[in-house]
Amino acid sequence: MLLSQNALAIRPLNLYPVVYISLLFGILHAVSVSPDESCISFNLTLRNFRLILSWELKNRSIVPTHYALSYTIMSRPAGEMIVEDCINITRSFCDLTDEWDSMTETYVTTVVGIRGNTTLVSCWDRVFPALDTSLEPPEFEIVGFTNHINVIVEFPPVIPKMLVMKNLQTQLSLIIEEKSGSIVKLHRPKIDGNTTGNFTYVIDKLIPNTEYCVSVYLEPKEAEKIRRSPLKCTLLQPGQESAAVFTSTIITLRRIGYICLRNNYPKVLNFRNQSAWVFPELPPLEAVALVEIIHINRKKKVWDYTYDDESDSDNEAVPRASAGGYTMHGLTGLCPASTSSASSEDCFDPDPEEPSLPQPGAESEPLMAPGPGPWQSECTDGAYERTRNLLQDPFPEEDSCSTEGTEDRIIFNVDLNSVCVSTLDDDDPEVPPVLSCIPEETVDLEDAEEMETSLLVAGGEGMQLPFPSPPVECLWPEDAPSEKSDTAESDVDIGDGYIMR
Amino acid sequence: MTYRWILPMALLLCVSTTALSVNYDLLRSQLRSSNSACQKLLRQLNGAPQRCPEDTMNFQVPEEIEQAQQFQKEDAALVIYEMLQHTLRIFRRNFASTGWNETIVENLLVKVHLQMDRLETNLEEIMEEESSTWGNTTILRLKKYYGRIVQYLKAKKYSHCAWTVVQAEMLRSLAFLNGLIDYLQN
Repeated sequence: MLLSQNALAIRPLNLYPVVYISLLFGILHAVSVSPDESCISFNLTLRNFRLILSWELKNRSIVPTHYALSYTIMSRPAGEMIVEDCINITRSFCDLTDEWDSMTETYVTTVVGIRGNTTLVSCWDRVFPALDTSLEPPEFEIVGFTNHINVIVEFPPVIPKMLVMKNLQTQLSLIIEEKSGSIVKLHRPKIDGNTTGNFTYVIDKLIPNTEYCVSVYLEPKEAEKIRRSPLKCTLLQPGQESAAVFTSTIITLRRIGYICLRNNYPKVLNFRNQSAWVFPELPPLEAVALVEIIHINRKKKVWDYTYDDESDSDNEAVPRASAGGYTMHGLTGLCPASTSSASSEDCFDPDPEEPSLPQPGAESEPLMAPGPGPWQSECTDGAYERTRNLLQDPFPEEDSCSTEGTEDRIIFNVDLNSVCVSTLDDDDPEVPPVLSCIPEETVDLEDAEEMETSLLVAGGEGMQLPFPSPPVECLWPEDAPSEKSDTAESDVDIGDGYIMR
Repeated sequence: MTYRWILPMALLLCVSTTALSVNYDLLRSQLRSSNSACQKLLRQLNGAPQRCPEDTMNFQVPEEIEQAQQFQKEDAALVIYEMLQHTLRIFRRNFASTGWNETIVENLLVKVHLQMDRLETNLEEIMEEESSTWGNTTILRLKKYYGRIVQYLKAKKYSHCAWTVVQAEMLRSLAFLNGLIDYLQN
């Protein structure tokens, strides 16, 4: 301005020497400029509330192996400050969170590039954080409920001193952006120097069944560039809140032990300490037929080796011949087509049993109460117990196959593969074979004198427990012909009188 | 019957009072935007890339300005106006040695002037509403503060290095001004 004002007073003839001298002076001045010219570009970033200064030499042909960082504050004549954590470093960035304490100061920052013992370059530039800082958005999460969203923003344990003024006001503002369709709302929760850890802000009065997207960013007072976080969206659903509350309540109760969801499994089912799980082969599915056991008390007849026709009776069952001198017990199968999966071939002729009972005179002695009989000595010790277990009915409801129980009659479902039975029709190949012994695990039976039905459940609920290998022949003692019989069919001689599996 | 007009009149008075009173929210928004632009313009004044060996100076900004203590909005408006006025005066001085782009400087001066105009229309009403005793002390300290800056320039003969120091201090001053603008709320 001074030159322009004085220019009019200078005569044109004297102008040329003045211009020549000025140009000469300018060139000389340019030659004598300081060699420490700005040869570096700085990039200041606030990332996760950490102030990171990175740099890049403008002359990329210069590649130092190490760097050293120092700075001076223009309003504080305290001399040059050396950053101890950034001396002789190989990286080209430095964390200055704990070093710089004001955003409104101008920092004259110097970086020295070194290779070995040689200083390759010394570059500087002025950094004004209030305008030069790039604010990366903080980490946050959203939790959607029925009509509100919780926005959880992660703050550091301690906010950097640069961001907090002495009155605890922050140099930054937290902005939460709420988007729904084309509608955008800004929320400005108040933060200060005491805002640390997980900061939760509730966006309420929202519409259920609506998708909302949330973005979070930091806004400096000198807003230059705003870097928004990626959007996080949630669909508000009805019942979300109650479900969330319910779920959290259940989890809490379980953790404190109020809800102890434990199953007292039998020890035999505890496989934890086993190094290997044993999966025995499951037996093939076995047909189950309903049978009715007609219990008839009879006098034990001893054959006197006479062939008296008077002793014959249509109602008397022909004693079955057996090699071992035992009486077979026949069972009558009740096979309603609607309930039993067994075919009609699974029906058996009932054959009363007499001496198998410990109290032969009892009329209503259930099969569960037999004492050890002669035939049982042929079985394993467990067979007797298993027999007892058989006769207890864990299912008190009536079985559709039999609805009546008399004093002399016990009706229960029998797995024909687990008992020794005699078949009426030997030739029928579909008659399933029977087990000689009743498995121990089948059922936990009650004392059921008045029980109508007993179910032989192989593990219950359709599950098949491993059956022991058919080891023993349970020999049913022979019995005298019964006085009662559900059917008029004669007994079938099956040879030695036993069917075993 | 005769009192029917009282309610409408009362409502009219309330509305007019609200309309004619200072809209601090609007003023805050305008000043914040202008001040941010001023800072960016000032930041662009790099000039010759010359590093001055003694480019540090503490001009002792008033503590209540630097610490951003609690202000009444009327007091904040007065302080802001005073600071803008001094900024205008400083950048009208001789900066020829800096090599700064004059267009940028002119734009800076225009924006500062615009902020002052916005404040002037509200300051008359502010001065009528109440008289502030606090503002006088702070304004006096501000005058001394900016006086030290001018004295520094004069002592350094408006050299490039002196202007570099003053440029940094003015950036700092405008940053403090941003904090004061936040107090302009309804």
